[in-house]
Amino acid sequence: MTTPTLSLHQVDKTFGHGRTTVHALKGADFEIYPGQFVAIIGPSGSGKSTFLTIAAGLQTPTNGEIRLNGVPLTSQSEKSRLAYRFNEIGFILQSSNLIPFLTVTEQLRLVDKVARRKFQQEHAQKLLTEFGLTKVSNAYPSELSGGERQRVAIVRALYNHPSVLLADEPTASLDVARSQDVVARLAQEAHQHHKAIIMVTHNQRLIGDCDVVYRIEDGVMSKS
Amino acid sequence: MYLGLKEMAHEKLRYTLLTSVLLLIALVVFCLAGLASGLAYGNRQAVDAWQATSIYLNKDANQNLSASQLKLADDKYITGNKVEPIATLSGTLRTKNDGLKTSISALGTARKSFLMPKVTSGHQIDGKNQIIISADIYAKGYRIGDRVRIGTTDKTVKIVGVYAKNTYSIAPTIYTDVTTLNQLRSAPITSGDNQPVNGFVTRRSQFKTDQHGELEKLTITKFIQKLPGYQAQQLTLNTMIYFLFVMALAIIGIFMFILTLQKQALFGVLKVQGIGTKHILAAILTQSMVMAIAGIALGLLITVGLAQVMPAALPFTIDWLQMGIYSAALLVAAVLGALLSWRTIAKIDPVVAIG
Repeated sequence: MTTPTLSLHQVDKTFGHGRTTVHALKGADFEIYPGQFVAIIGPSGSGKSTFLTIAAGLQTPTNGEIRLNGVPLTSQSEKSRLAYRFNEIGFILQSSNLIPFLTVTEQLRLVDKVARRKFQQEHAQKLLTEFGLTKVSNAYPSELSGGERQRVAIVRALYNHPSVLLADEPTASLDVARSQDVVARLAQEAHQHHKAIIMVTHNQRLIGDCDVVYRIEDGVMSKS
Repeated sequence: MYLGLKEMAHEKLRYTLLTSVLLLIALVVFCLAGLASGLAYGNRQAVDAWQATSIYLNKDANQNLSASQLKLADDKYITGNKVEPIATLSGTLRTKNDGLKTSISALGTARKSFLMPKVTSGHQIDGKNQIIISADIYAKGYRIGDRVRIGTTDKTVKIVGVYAKNTYSIAPTIYTDVTTLNQLRSAPITSGDNQPVNGFVTRRSQFKTDQHGELEKLTITKFIQKLPGYQAQQLTLNTMIYFLFVMALAIIGIFMFILTLQKQALFGVLKVQGIGTKHILAAILTQSMVMAIAGIALGLLITVGLAQVMPAALPFTIDWLQMGIYSAALLVAAVLGALLSWRTIAKIDPVVAIG
Protein backbone atom coordinates (compact mmCIF):
# COMPACT_ATOMS: atom_id res chain seq x y z
CA MET A 1 0.00 0.00 0.00
CA THR A 2 1.07 3.61 -0.58
CA THR A 3 2.19 6.04 2.11
CA PRO A 4 -0.66 7.58 4.08
CA THR A 5 -1.24 11.27 3.38
CA LEU A 6 -1.51 11.98 7.07
CA SER A 7 -0.81 9.63 9.93
CA LEU A 8 -0.80 9.89 13.71
CA HIS A 9 1.10 7.29 15.67
CA GLN A 10 0.52 6.83 19.41
CA VAL A 11 -0.32 10.49 19.89
CA ASP A 12 -1.01 11.71 23.43
CA LYS A 13 -2.16 15.14 24.36
CA THR A 14 -2.48 16.18 27.97
CA PHE A 15 -3.40 19.52 29.44
CA GLY A 16 -2.53 20.66 32.97
CA HIS A 17 -0.44 18.95 35.66
CA GLY A 18 -0.95 16.56 38.59
CA ARG A 19 -4.52 16.08 39.81
CA THR A 20 -5.97 18.42 37.20
CA THR A 21 -4.38 16.63 34.24
CA VAL A 22 -6.76 16.14 31.34
CA HIS A 23 -5.95 13.43 28.80
CA ALA A 24 -7.54 14.83 25.67
CA LEU A 25 -5.99 12.17 23.44
CA LYS A 26 -4.62 8.81 24.57
CA GLY A 27 -2.41 6.83 22.21
CA ALA A 28 -4.29 7.86 19.14
CA ASP A 29 -3.48 6.02 15.90
CA PHE A 30 -4.84 7.36 12.66
CA GLU A 31 -4.14 7.26 8.96
CA ILE A 32 -5.70 8.53 5.78
CA TYR A 33 -4.80 7.84 2.16
CA PRO A 34 -5.39 9.86 -0.99
CA GLY A 35 -8.95 9.44 -2.26
CA GLN A 36 -10.30 8.56 1.17
CA PHE A 37 -13.16 10.29 2.90
CA VAL A 38 -12.74 9.63 6.62
CA ALA A 39 -15.19 10.55 9.37
CA ILE A 40 -14.30 11.08 12.97
CA ILE A 41 -17.36 10.83 15.13
CA GLY A 42 -17.85 11.37 18.80
CA PRO A 43 -19.81 13.33 21.38
CA SER A 44 -18.74 16.82 22.34
CA GLY A 45 -15.79 16.90 24.70
CA SER A 46 -14.52 13.57 23.40
CA GLY A 47 -11.28 14.94 21.96
CA LYS A 48 -12.41 15.69 18.40
CA SER A 49 -11.24 19.28 18.52
CA THR A 50 -7.92 18.28 20.02
CA PHE A 51 -7.43 15.79 17.21
CA LEU A 52 -8.12 18.53 14.67
CA THR A 53 -5.81 21.09 16.25
CA ILE A 54 -2.99 18.56 16.38
CA ALA A 55 -3.54 17.34 12.82
CA ALA A 56 -3.58 20.96 11.70
CA GLY A 57 -0.38 21.84 13.53
CA LEU A 58 -2.16 24.33 15.77
CA GLN A 59 -0.91 22.40 18.80
CA THR A 60 1.99 20.04 19.32
CA PRO A 61 1.32 16.58 20.76
CA THR A 62 2.66 15.66 24.19
CA ASN A 63 3.88 12.31 22.84
CA GLY A 64 3.74 10.48 19.54
CA GLU A 65 4.45 11.30 15.94
CA ILE A 66 2.63 12.93 13.05
CA ARG A 67 3.67 12.32 9.47
CA LEU A 68 2.55 14.12 6.37
CA ASN A 69 3.19 12.12 3.19
CA GLY A 70 5.61 10.05 5.25
CA VAL A 71 7.64 13.01 6.47
CA PRO A 72 7.60 13.57 10.23
CA LEU A 73 6.52 17.05 11.24
CA THR A 74 9.49 17.44 13.52
CA SER A 75 10.11 21.09 12.91
CA GLN A 76 7.49 22.61 15.11
CA SER A 77 8.28 26.31 15.14
CA GLU A 78 5.23 28.55 14.92
CA LYS A 79 6.47 29.84 11.57
CA SER A 80 6.77 26.41 9.97
CA ARG A 81 3.45 25.28 11.42
CA LEU A 82 1.89 28.38 9.86
CA ALA A 83 3.42 27.48 6.48
CA TYR A 84 2.27 23.88 6.95
CA ARG A 85 -1.31 25.00 7.52
CA PHE A 86 -1.21 27.39 4.62
CA ASN A 87 0.30 24.93 2.12
CA GLU A 88 -0.87 21.48 3.19
CA ILE A 89 -4.14 21.87 5.03
CA GLY A 90 -7.50 23.00 3.72
CA PHE A 91 -9.82 24.05 6.51
CA ILE A 92 -13.58 24.04 6.58
CA LEU A 93 -14.85 25.34 9.91
CA GLN A 94 -18.24 24.96 11.60
CA SER A 95 -19.72 28.24 10.62
CA SER A 96 -18.33 30.36 7.87
CA ASN A 97 -14.59 30.86 7.86
CA LEU A 98 -14.92 33.43 5.12
CA ILE A 99 -13.66 36.98 5.36
CA PRO A 100 -16.69 39.31 5.50
CA PHE A 101 -15.18 42.11 3.40
CA LEU A 102 -13.99 39.96 0.49
CA THR A 103 -16.16 38.69 -2.37
CA VAL A 104 -16.13 35.00 -3.25
CA THR A 105 -13.46 35.52 -5.94
CA GLU A 106 -11.43 37.78 -3.65
CA GLN A 107 -11.34 35.07 -0.96
CA LEU A 108 -9.43 32.95 -3.48
CA ARG A 109 -7.33 35.85 -4.73
CA LEU A 110 -6.17 36.44 -1.13
CA VAL A 111 -4.60 32.96 -1.11
CA ASP A 112 -2.52 33.87 -4.15
CA LYS A 113 -1.59 37.24 -2.64
CA VAL A 114 -0.31 35.55 0.51
CA ALA A 115 1.55 33.00 -1.61
CA ARG A 116 2.97 35.88 -3.71
CA ARG A 117 1.83 34.57 -7.08
CA LYS A 118 -0.59 35.53 -9.82
CA PHE A 119 -4.30 34.86 -9.47
CA GLN A 120 -5.07 31.36 -10.79
CA GLN A 121 -8.07 32.41 -12.82
CA GLU A 122 -8.73 29.07 -14.55
CA HIS A 123 -8.36 27.02 -11.39
CA ALA A 124 -10.75 29.35 -9.56
CA GLN A 125 -13.23 29.23 -12.42
CA LYS A 126 -13.15 25.44 -12.50
CA LEU A 127 -13.78 25.10 -8.77
CA LEU A 128 -16.55 27.70 -8.72
CA THR A 129 -18.27 26.01 -11.64
CA GLU A 130 -17.93 22.59 -10.03
CA PHE A 131 -19.59 23.85 -6.84
CA GLY A 132 -22.27 25.86 -8.66
CA LEU A 133 -21.00 29.21 -7.46
CA THR A 134 -20.30 31.11 -10.69
CA LYS A 135 -23.38 33.27 -10.26
CA VAL A 136 -22.32 34.46 -6.83
CA SER A 137 -18.62 34.87 -7.55
CA ASN A 138 -18.79 38.61 -6.92
CA ALA A 139 -21.03 38.44 -3.86
CA TYR A 140 -19.94 39.09 -0.29
CA PRO A 141 -20.42 36.30 2.30
CA SER A 142 -23.32 38.21 3.90
CA GLU A 143 -25.19 38.00 0.60
CA LEU A 144 -24.93 34.20 0.40
CA SER A 145 -27.16 31.47 1.83
CA GLY A 146 -25.75 29.14 4.50
CA GLY A 147 -25.28 26.33 1.98
CA GLU A 148 -23.53 28.61 -0.48
CA ARG A 149 -21.25 29.87 2.27
CA GLN A 150 -20.14 26.33 3.16
CA ARG A 151 -19.61 25.53 -0.51
CA VAL A 152 -17.44 28.66 -0.85
CA ALA A 153 -15.55 27.50 2.26
CA ILE A 154 -14.89 24.15 0.55
CA VAL A 155 -13.70 25.90 -2.62
CA ARG A 156 -11.50 28.19 -0.52
CA ALA A 157 -10.05 25.12 1.25
CA LEU A 158 -9.42 23.24 -2.02
CA TYR A 159 -8.02 26.24 -3.87
CA ASN A 160 -4.46 26.00 -2.54
CA HIS A 161 -4.11 22.28 -3.53
CA PRO A 162 -3.85 21.02 0.06
CA SER A 163 -2.72 17.47 0.91
CA VAL A 164 -5.49 17.10 3.45
CA LEU A 165 -8.88 18.71 3.86
CA LEU A 166 -10.04 19.10 7.47
CA ALA A 167 -13.75 19.71 7.89
CA ASP A 168 -14.84 20.57 11.42
CA GLU A 169 -18.61 20.00 11.74
CA PRO A 170 -19.06 21.48 8.26
CA THR A 171 -22.82 21.08 8.44
CA ALA A 172 -23.43 22.46 11.93
CA SER A 173 -25.34 25.48 10.69
CA LEU A 174 -27.23 23.78 7.84
CA ASP A 175 -30.55 21.94 7.53
CA VAL A 176 -30.71 18.24 6.63
CA ALA A 177 -30.99 18.61 2.84
CA ARG A 178 -28.13 21.12 2.64
CA SER A 179 -26.03 19.04 5.04
CA GLN A 180 -26.37 16.01 2.82
CA ASP A 181 -25.48 18.07 -0.22
CA VAL A 182 -22.29 19.39 1.41
CA VAL A 183 -21.24 15.92 2.59
CA ALA A 184 -21.97 14.43 -0.83
CA ARG A 185 -19.77 17.07 -2.43
CA LEU A 186 -16.93 16.29 -0.01
CA ALA A 187 -17.24 12.59 -0.80
CA GLN A 188 -17.24 13.35 -4.51
CA GLU A 189 -14.15 15.52 -4.15
CA ALA A 190 -12.30 12.71 -2.34
CA HIS A 191 -13.30 9.96 -4.73
CA GLN A 192 -13.13 11.79 -8.06
CA HIS A 193 -10.18 14.09 -7.42
CA HIS A 194 -8.25 11.77 -5.17
CA LYS A 195 -8.19 14.05 -2.14
CA ALA A 196 -7.74 13.02 1.47
CA ILE A 197 -10.63 14.46 3.42
CA ILE A 198 -11.25 14.21 7.16
CA MET A 199 -14.66 15.21 8.48
CA VAL A 200 -15.25 15.64 12.19
CA THR A 201 -18.89 15.40 13.20
CA HIS A 202 -21.23 14.27 15.94
CA ASN A 203 -24.02 13.47 13.47
CA GLN A 204 -24.38 9.73 12.79
CA ARG A 205 -26.61 10.28 9.79
CA LEU A 206 -23.90 11.98 7.75
CA ILE A 207 -21.36 9.18 7.67
CA GLY A 208 -22.99 7.08 5.00
CA ASP A 209 -20.62 8.31 2.28
CA CYS A 210 -17.47 7.82 4.34
CA ASP A 211 -14.89 5.14 3.56
CA VAL A 212 -13.54 4.83 7.08
CA VAL A 213 -15.13 5.90 10.34
CA TYR A 214 -13.17 6.53 13.54
CA ARG A 215 -14.98 6.79 16.83
CA ILE A 216 -13.54 8.85 19.61
CA GLU A 217 -14.62 8.78 23.21
CA ASP A 218 -12.79 10.16 26.27
CA GLY A 219 -9.71 10.69 24.17
CA VAL A 220 -9.52 7.14 22.88
CA MET A 221 -9.75 6.67 19.12
CA SER A 222 -10.96 3.45 17.55
CA LYS A 223 -11.58 2.42 13.96
CA SER A 224 -15.05 1.00 13.42
CA MET B 1 -1.74 44.97 1.88
CA TYR B 2 -4.50 43.36 -0.18
CA LEU B 3 -6.47 42.53 2.96
CA GLY B 4 -6.06 46.02 4.40
CA LEU B 5 -7.08 47.88 1.26
CA LYS B 6 -10.03 45.58 0.53
CA GLU B 7 -11.35 46.08 4.05
CA MET B 8 -11.08 49.86 3.72
CA ALA B 9 -12.94 49.75 0.42
CA HIS B 10 -15.69 47.68 2.03
CA GLU B 11 -15.92 49.74 5.26
CA LYS B 12 -15.73 53.18 3.69
CA LEU B 13 -17.60 55.11 6.37
CA ARG B 14 -15.52 53.78 9.25
CA TYR B 15 -12.19 54.56 7.60
CA THR B 16 -13.32 57.88 6.12
CA LEU B 17 -14.29 59.07 9.59
CA LEU B 18 -10.92 58.17 11.05
CA THR B 19 -9.15 59.76 8.08
CA SER B 20 -11.06 62.97 8.70
CA VAL B 21 -9.98 63.00 12.35
CA LEU B 22 -6.38 62.64 11.16
CA LEU B 23 -7.02 65.37 8.60
CA LEU B 24 -8.17 67.74 11.35
CA ILE B 25 -5.11 66.97 13.46
CA ALA B 26 -2.82 67.46 10.46
CA LEU B 27 -4.58 70.73 9.65
CA VAL B 28 -4.06 72.08 13.17
CA VAL B 29 -0.41 70.98 13.10
CA PHE B 30 0.16 72.73 9.77
CA CYS B 31 -1.67 75.90 10.81
CA LEU B 32 0.29 76.11 14.07
CA ALA B 33 3.51 75.42 12.17
CA GLY B 34 2.59 78.17 9.70
CA LEU B 35 1.97 80.59 12.55
CA ALA B 36 5.15 79.55 14.34
CA SER B 37 7.28 80.10 11.26
CA GLY B 38 5.34 83.25 10.41
CA LEU B 39 6.07 84.67 13.85
CA ALA B 40 9.66 83.47 13.78
CA TYR B 41 10.10 85.03 10.37
CA GLY B 42 8.50 88.28 11.45
CA ASN B 43 10.89 88.49 14.37
CA ARG B 44 14.11 87.51 12.68
CA GLN B 45 13.82 88.17 8.96
CA ALA B 46 15.98 91.32 9.17
CA VAL B 47 18.59 89.44 11.20
CA ASP B 48 18.59 86.54 8.73
CA ALA B 49 19.05 88.99 5.87
CA TRP B 50 22.29 90.26 7.44
CA GLN B 51 23.91 86.85 6.95
CA ALA B 52 26.11 87.69 9.89
CA THR B 53 27.72 85.33 12.40
CA SER B 54 27.98 87.37 15.55
CA ILE B 55 26.84 90.51 17.25
CA TYR B 56 28.45 92.64 20.00
CA LEU B 57 26.19 94.16 22.65
CA ASN B 58 26.59 95.92 25.95
CA LYS B 59 27.15 93.17 28.52
CA ASP B 60 24.56 94.71 30.85
CA ALA B 61 21.85 94.67 28.17
CA ASN B 62 20.67 91.14 28.92
CA GLN B 63 21.48 90.24 25.31
CA ASN B 64 18.72 92.53 24.09
CA LEU B 65 19.58 94.81 21.17
CA SER B 66 17.30 97.72 22.02
CA ALA B 67 18.47 97.73 25.66
CA SER B 68 22.13 97.77 24.65
CA GLN B 69 23.89 101.13 24.71
CA LEU B 70 27.29 101.56 23.10
CA LYS B 71 28.98 104.30 21.17
CA LEU B 72 30.25 104.27 17.64
CA ALA B 73 33.86 104.38 18.81
CA ASP B 74 33.47 101.08 20.69
CA ASP B 75 34.35 99.22 17.50
CA LYS B 76 37.95 99.88 18.51
CA TYR B 77 37.74 96.74 20.70
CA ILE B 78 36.83 94.53 17.75
CA THR B 79 39.01 93.29 14.93
CA GLY B 80 37.59 91.75 11.74
CA ASN B 81 36.86 92.61 8.15
CA LYS B 82 33.12 93.21 8.41
CA VAL B 83 32.22 95.12 11.54
CA GLU B 84 29.23 97.43 11.21
CA PRO B 85 27.24 99.44 13.76
CA ILE B 86 23.52 98.87 14.25
CA ALA B 87 21.06 101.24 15.91
CA THR B 88 17.35 100.64 16.36
CA LEU B 89 14.20 102.64 16.93
CA SER B 90 10.70 101.25 16.91
CA GLY B 91 8.15 103.84 16.07
CA THR B 92 5.39 104.98 13.79
CA LEU B 93 5.97 105.95 10.20
CA ARG B 94 3.68 108.80 9.15
CA THR B 95 3.25 110.77 5.97
CA LYS B 96 3.50 114.52 6.44
CA ASN B 97 -0.23 115.15 6.68
CA ASP B 98 -0.75 112.00 8.79
CA GLY B 99 -2.59 110.33 5.91
CA LEU B 100 -0.78 107.02 6.48
CA LYS B 101 0.42 105.57 9.78
CA THR B 102 2.40 102.35 10.12
CA SER B 103 4.27 100.73 12.99
CA ILE B 104 7.82 100.03 11.90
CA SER B 105 11.23 98.96 13.10
CA ALA B 106 13.80 101.57 12.06
CA LEU B 107 17.37 100.34 11.74
CA GLY B 108 20.43 102.51 11.29
CA THR B 109 23.85 101.44 10.04
CA ALA B 110 26.71 102.83 7.98
CA ARG B 111 25.66 103.86 4.47
CA LYS B 112 27.96 101.36 2.74
CA SER B 113 27.49 98.67 5.40
CA PHE B 114 26.85 95.05 4.39
CA LEU B 115 23.80 95.29 6.63
CA MET B 116 22.18 97.90 4.40
CA PRO B 117 19.62 96.13 2.16
CA LYS B 118 20.02 96.40 -1.63
CA VAL B 119 17.20 98.49 -3.13
CA THR B 120 15.07 97.01 -5.88
CA SER B 121 13.83 100.43 -6.99
CA GLY B 122 15.05 103.95 -6.23
CA HIS B 123 18.62 104.29 -4.96
CA GLN B 124 20.76 103.52 -1.90
CA ILE B 125 21.16 106.21 0.76
CA ASP B 126 23.65 108.80 -0.44
CA GLY B 127 22.91 111.83 1.70
CA LYS B 128 21.44 113.20 4.87
CA ASN B 129 17.85 112.54 5.96
CA GLN B 130 17.24 109.70 3.54
CA ILE B 131 15.59 106.38 4.31
CA ILE B 132 14.88 103.24 2.32
CA ILE B 133 11.78 101.18 3.02
CA SER B 134 10.85 97.51 2.75
CA ALA B 135 8.33 96.27 0.20
CA ASP B 136 5.77 95.69 3.00
CA ILE B 137 5.73 99.42 3.64
CA TYR B 138 5.63 100.26 -0.05
CA ALA B 139 2.57 97.98 -0.29
CA LYS B 140 0.79 100.19 2.24
CA GLY B 141 1.02 103.18 -0.10
CA TYR B 142 4.30 104.90 0.77
CA ARG B 143 6.18 105.99 -2.34
CA ILE B 144 9.70 107.02 -3.32
CA GLY B 145 9.99 110.77 -2.90
CA ASP B 146 7.46 110.90 -0.04
CA ARG B 147 8.58 112.98 2.93
CA VAL B 148 7.74 111.14 6.16
CA ARG B 149 8.13 111.49 9.91
CA ILE B 150 9.10 108.76 12.36
CA GLY B 151 8.39 108.75 16.08
CA THR B 152 7.58 111.89 17.95
CA THR B 153 9.99 114.38 16.39
CA ASP B 154 8.90 116.84 13.76
CA LYS B 155 11.91 115.98 11.65
CA THR B 156 11.04 114.80 8.17
CA VAL B 157 13.04 112.34 6.08
CA LYS B 158 12.73 111.36 2.45
CA ILE B 159 12.07 107.89 1.05
CA VAL B 160 14.66 107.23 -1.66
CA GLY B 161 14.45 103.49 -2.25
CA VAL B 162 12.53 100.27 -1.72
CA TYR B 163 13.99 96.83 -0.89
CA ALA B 164 12.52 93.33 -0.53
CA LYS B 165 10.03 92.42 2.21
CA ASN B 166 11.78 92.56 5.57
CA THR B 167 10.58 92.61 9.16
CA TYR B 168 12.07 92.85 12.63
CA SER B 169 10.09 92.38 15.87
CA ILE B 170 6.98 91.65 13.77
CA ALA B 171 7.14 95.11 12.18
CA PRO B 172 8.31 96.01 8.67
CA THR B 173 11.71 97.69 8.59
CA ILE B 174 13.14 100.90 7.26
CA TYR B 175 16.89 101.51 7.02
CA THR B 176 18.80 104.76 7.33
CA ASP B 177 22.26 105.91 8.37
CA VAL B 178 23.31 106.12 12.02
CA THR B 179 23.25 109.93 12.19
CA THR B 180 19.75 110.22 10.74
CA LEU B 181 18.49 107.51 13.08
CA ASN B 182 20.02 109.27 16.07
CA GLN B 183 18.32 112.50 15.04
CA LEU B 184 15.01 110.66 14.71
CA ARG B 185 15.35 109.22 18.20
CA SER B 186 16.48 112.61 19.63
CA ALA B 187 19.85 111.30 20.76
CA PRO B 188 21.96 113.85 22.67
CA ILE B 189 24.89 113.41 20.29
CA THR B 190 24.15 112.92 16.59
CA SER B 191 27.54 113.16 14.98
CA GLY B 192 31.06 111.88 15.38
CA ASP B 193 32.40 108.80 17.16
CA ASN B 194 30.59 109.39 20.41
CA GLN B 195 27.08 109.08 19.04
CA PRO B 196 25.14 106.14 20.48
CA VAL B 197 24.57 102.82 18.70
CA ASN B 198 23.02 99.61 20.01
CA GLY B 199 25.53 97.09 18.81
CA PHE B 200 27.96 95.89 16.15
CA VAL B 201 27.17 93.15 13.69
CA THR B 202 29.98 91.19 12.08
CA ARG B 203 30.68 88.38 9.67
CA ARG B 204 34.10 87.39 11.02
CA SER B 205 35.68 89.08 13.98
CA GLN B 206 36.99 88.80 17.50
CA PHE B 207 37.95 91.04 20.39
CA LYS B 208 41.37 92.59 19.94
CA THR B 209 42.41 91.93 23.54
CA ASP B 210 40.96 90.68 26.79
CA GLN B 211 40.18 94.31 27.61
CA HIS B 212 36.97 95.02 25.74
CA GLY B 213 35.13 97.62 27.77
CA GLU B 214 31.46 96.93 28.25
CA LEU B 215 31.08 94.72 25.16
CA GLU B 216 30.09 91.08 24.99
CA LYS B 217 30.06 88.87 21.93
CA LEU B 218 27.02 86.75 20.96
CA THR B 219 26.50 84.35 18.10
CA ILE B 220 23.62 85.35 15.84
CA THR B 221 21.84 82.07 16.71
CA LYS B 222 21.96 82.95 20.41
CA PHE B 223 20.91 86.51 19.62
CA ILE B 224 17.82 85.28 17.72
CA GLN B 225 16.87 83.03 20.63
CA LYS B 226 17.08 86.08 22.87
CA LEU B 227 14.89 88.31 20.67
CA PRO B 228 12.11 89.56 22.97
CA GLY B 229 9.22 87.06 23.00
CA TYR B 230 10.82 84.84 20.35
CA GLN B 231 11.43 81.77 22.48
CA ALA B 232 8.15 82.08 24.36
CA GLN B 233 6.17 82.15 21.11
CA GLN B 234 8.10 79.32 19.50
CA LEU B 235 8.02 77.11 22.60
CA THR B 236 4.28 77.61 23.05
CA LEU B 237 3.41 76.76 19.47
CA ASN B 238 5.91 73.93 19.18
CA THR B 239 4.69 72.33 22.41
CA MET B 240 1.17 72.34 20.99
CA ILE B 241 2.46 70.73 17.80
CA TYR B 242 4.32 68.02 19.73
CA PHE B 243 1.18 67.26 21.72
CA LEU B 244 -0.71 66.82 18.48
CA PHE B 245 1.76 64.15 17.36
CA VAL B 246 1.02 62.26 20.57
CA MET B 247 -2.70 62.71 19.94
CA ALA B 248 -2.40 61.35 16.40
CA LEU B 249 -0.52 58.35 17.76
CA ALA B 250 -3.11 57.80 20.49
CA ILE B 251 -6.11 58.13 18.17
CA ILE B 252 -4.75 55.70 15.58
CA GLY B 253 -3.53 53.41 18.35
CA ILE B 254 -6.83 53.29 20.21
CA PHE B 255 -8.94 53.01 17.09
CA MET B 256 -6.83 50.22 15.58
CA PHE B 257 -6.73 48.44 18.93
CA ILE B 258 -10.54 48.45 19.24
CA LEU B 259 -10.88 47.21 15.66
CA THR B 260 -8.37 44.47 16.40
CA LEU B 261 -10.34 43.36 19.45
CA GLN B 262 -13.50 43.31 17.33
CA LYS B 263 -11.82 41.24 14.66
CA GLN B 264 -10.10 38.72 16.95
CA ALA B 265 -12.32 35.85 15.75
CA LEU B 266 -11.61 36.70 12.13
CA PHE B 267 -7.87 36.94 12.78
CA GLY B 268 -8.08 33.56 14.53
CA VAL B 269 -9.62 32.05 11.40
CA LEU B 270 -6.91 33.63 9.25
CA LYS B 271 -4.25 32.11 11.47
CA VAL B 272 -5.92 28.69 11.22
CA GLN B 273 -5.65 29.04 7.46
CA GLY B 274 -1.95 29.80 7.75
CA ILE B 275 -2.22 33.55 7.24
CA GLY B 276 -0.20 34.75 10.20
CA THR B 277 0.58 37.77 12.34
CA LYS B 278 2.87 39.20 9.66
CA HIS B 279 0.06 39.51 7.14
CA ILE B 280 -2.49 40.78 9.64
CA LEU B 281 -0.08 43.41 10.93
CA ALA B 282 0.79 44.43 7.37
CA ALA B 283 -2.93 44.97 6.70
CA ILE B 284 -3.28 47.22 9.75
CA LEU B 285 -0.12 49.15 8.92
CA THR B 286 -1.33 49.63 5.36
CA GLN B 287 -4.61 50.99 6.62
CA SER B 288 -3.08 53.44 9.06
CA MET B 289 -0.56 54.63 6.48
CA VAL B 290 -3.22 55.14 3.81
CA MET B 291 -5.35 57.09 6.27
CA ALA B 292 -2.40 59.15 7.49
CA ILE B 293 -1.16 59.95 3.98
CA ALA B 294 -4.66 60.94 2.84
CA GLY B 295 -5.19 63.05 5.97
CA ILE B 296 -1.79 64.73 5.67
CA ALA B 297 -2.16 65.44 1.94
CA LEU B 298 -5.62 66.96 2.38
CA GLY B 299 -4.42 68.87 5.44
CA LEU B 300 -1.55 70.37 3.44
CA LEU B 301 -3.88 71.27 0.59
CA ILE B 302 -6.31 73.02 2.92
CA THR B 303 -3.46 74.81 4.71
CA VAL B 304 -2.14 76.17 1.42
CA GLY B 305 -5.69 77.26 0.54
CA LEU B 306 -6.17 78.93 3.93
CA ALA B 307 -2.87 80.77 3.55
CA GLN B 308 -4.27 82.46 0.43
CA VAL B 309 -7.33 83.85 2.22
CA MET B 310 -5.75 84.69 5.57
CA PRO B 311 -5.63 88.39 6.50
CA ALA B 312 -2.22 89.88 5.76
CA ALA B 313 -1.92 90.97 9.40
CA LEU B 314 -1.68 87.31 10.46
CA PRO B 315 1.96 86.22 10.39
CA PHE B 316 1.72 82.98 8.45
CA THR B 317 4.54 81.41 6.46
CA ILE B 318 4.66 77.96 4.91
CA ASP B 319 8.11 76.51 5.39
CA TRP B 320 8.05 73.46 3.11
CA LEU B 321 11.01 71.74 4.75
CA GLN B 322 9.31 72.02 8.12
CA MET B 323 5.93 70.94 6.73
CA GLY B 324 7.72 67.91 5.25
CA ILE B 325 9.26 67.05 8.59
CA TYR B 326 5.93 67.42 10.40
CA SER B 327 4.17 65.31 7.75
CA ALA B 328 6.75 62.58 8.24
CA ALA B 329 6.32 62.84 12.01
CA LEU B 330 2.55 62.43 11.68
CA LEU B 331 3.06 59.41 9.45
CA VAL B 332 5.46 57.90 11.98
CA ALA B 333 2.93 58.58 14.76
CA ALA B 334 0.24 56.75 12.76
CA VAL B 335 2.54 53.78 12.14
CA LEU B 336 3.55 53.63 15.81
CA GLY B 337 -0.12 53.84 16.80
CA ALA B 338 -0.93 50.86 14.58
CA LEU B 339 2.03 48.92 15.99
CA LEU B 340 0.47 49.18 19.46
CA SER B 341 -1.86 46.34 18.40
CA TRP B 342 1.06 44.08 17.48
CA ARG B 343 1.13 42.14 20.76
CA THR B 344 -2.62 41.67 20.73
CA ILE B 345 -2.52 40.27 17.21
CA ALA B 346 0.45 38.04 17.95
CA LYS B 347 -1.31 36.65 21.03
CA ILE B 348 -4.50 35.66 19.23
CA ASP B 349 -4.59 31.84 19.51
CA PRO B 350 -5.94 30.17 16.37
CA VAL B 351 -7.14 27.26 18.50
CA VAL B 352 -10.08 29.39 19.70
CA ALA B 353 -11.37 29.47 16.13
CA ILE B 354 -11.89 25.69 16.34
CA GLY B 355 -14.53 24.23 18.61
